[in-house]
Amino acid sequence: MLVAFAAFVAIAYGREPAAGVPTGVVLPTIPSSASRETASVAGAAGSSTPVALSSANGVSRYMAVAEPVAARAQPSVSAPVVGRLSTRTPEGTTNAVLALARVERGGMLWIKARLPVLPNNTVGWIPRASLGGYNSVNTRVVIDTTKLTLTLFRFGKPIFAARVGVGQAQWPTPRGKFYIRNKLTRYSSPMYGPVAFGTSARSAVLTDWPAGGYVGIHGTNQPALIPGRISHGCVRMRNTDILRLADLMQPGTPLTIE
Amino acid sequence: MSNALTLDEVDNGGAILEALDKVGDDSRVGFLKKSAVAAGGIVGGGAILGALATPAHAATANDVAILNFALTLEYLEAEFYTEAERIGALRGRVLAFAKVVGAHERAHVAFLKKALGSAAVKKPTFNFRGTTESEAKFKATAQVLEDTGVKAYKGQAPLIDSDAVLAAALSVHSVEARHAAWIRHINGAPPAPNAFDPAATKQQILQAVAGTKFITAAPVMTAPGRSPRFTG
Repeated sequence: MLVAFAAFVAIAYGREPAAGVPTGVVLPTIPSSASRETASVAGAAGSSTPVALSSANGVSRYMAVAEPVAARAQPSVSAPVVGRLSTRTPEGTTNAVLALARVERGGMLWIKARLPVLPNNTVGWIPRASLGGYNSVNTRVVIDTTKLTLTLFRFGKPIFAARVGVGQAQWPTPRGKFYIRNKLTRYSSPMYGPVAFGTSARSAVLTDWPAGGYVGIHGTNQPALIPGRISHGCVRMRNTDILRLADLMQPGTPLTIE
Repeated sequence: MSNALTLDEVDNGGAILEALDKVGDDSRVGFLKKSAVAAGGIVGGGAILGALATPAHAATANDVAILNFALTLEYLEAEFYTEAERIGALRGRVLAFAKVVGAHERAHVAFLKKALGSAAVKKPTFNFRGTTESEAKFKATAQVLEDTGVKAYKGQAPLIDSDAVLAAALSVHSVEARHAAWIRHINGAPPAPNAFDPAATKQQILQAVAGTKFITAAPVMTAPGRSPRFTG
């Protein structure tokens, strides 16, 4: 049974059976009629055309980086590398990417993902086999650096809003499309308040900042400065607001900074 | 063409534990510890429903272990079909199959959780490794999952203590057999290949589940006690 399952897994995952699998093991085969159906369905469904995995007003999906991997400009092993991903963030949490689309090319599944790399707003294609399972969120968060607000949406409807502090002119909060990478709690850094969310956004100015200059969304010990342009790029919130946000928002949530 | 992925060849104890060690996930280890409390083993593929009306029916430790393992397998099946349906790779009769069977498996999960109450194991984290994202891979995987569930029940049903649990198991076992026949028909395999189905032991099913690597460690997205080093 074990070898049979190993062989099944190999077939199911599009790989050749491992050496040592007895030739007598019977594997499930797709009948010719089903193969034709699959082929026609694949064409109709556009499996060779990217299929969206996240939507602006519905469910978004994030996936763990299961092994160190290069993200590429196109779904091809020969395409240029646009970013290299490790399995852990600087904070020690699982490194995850926001899954945007999937496509099958040459029998290989690829995931188009938003990446936590510079330049900001980089997306790339990652082999599906290098990623973990799908995890879903139904929220998205928008930060308006002009109005100095943060708004959280669930299924497209606003459920929470608060005033924020953003980066000073020389250390602007980067604009673009990002996602929430992790959540830190129970630390002893009063300037970050009680909760800090890590994001995939990075300061384009403070590139030598410890751990890479990632932008966070966190509390503060100077609430009187909010709202304002007060930070090195991070988004600061009053502690009551960040605690409320922490109850409503999970890592993996798409983030727009405009 | 053969239809068969038999469960008869497993003889290697410990493989599932090795897989779990690699994952190192407390919740996942927990469910197996709970499910292995007694000699009962499992009811595969959604085997408890119908006659099992209240938590009181799952009174013995053996039956709780059986119910929890059944719940784990139901979690796996329900998530497999739900993800396949939502990910958008299925069409036509295969999609119809996934919708109907997925609804059945989700109903089994809901019932088992209610029956077990606070004793219910937590839902594991899954990585179906692309098998929900390709119709051909989905069909092959669905057949294996359903065949495995049917055989698991066949092997473990005699170990159930409670008549109520056994009656419920029988009511769901036939549904799982229908699922297996349905996907076999879709795949062009004989829907009823044998006059007598073989049984599967708990060990065989654990091996099979571990072999898929569908149950994985949950991503760790929070880090209590780690000081932020964001730009501030």
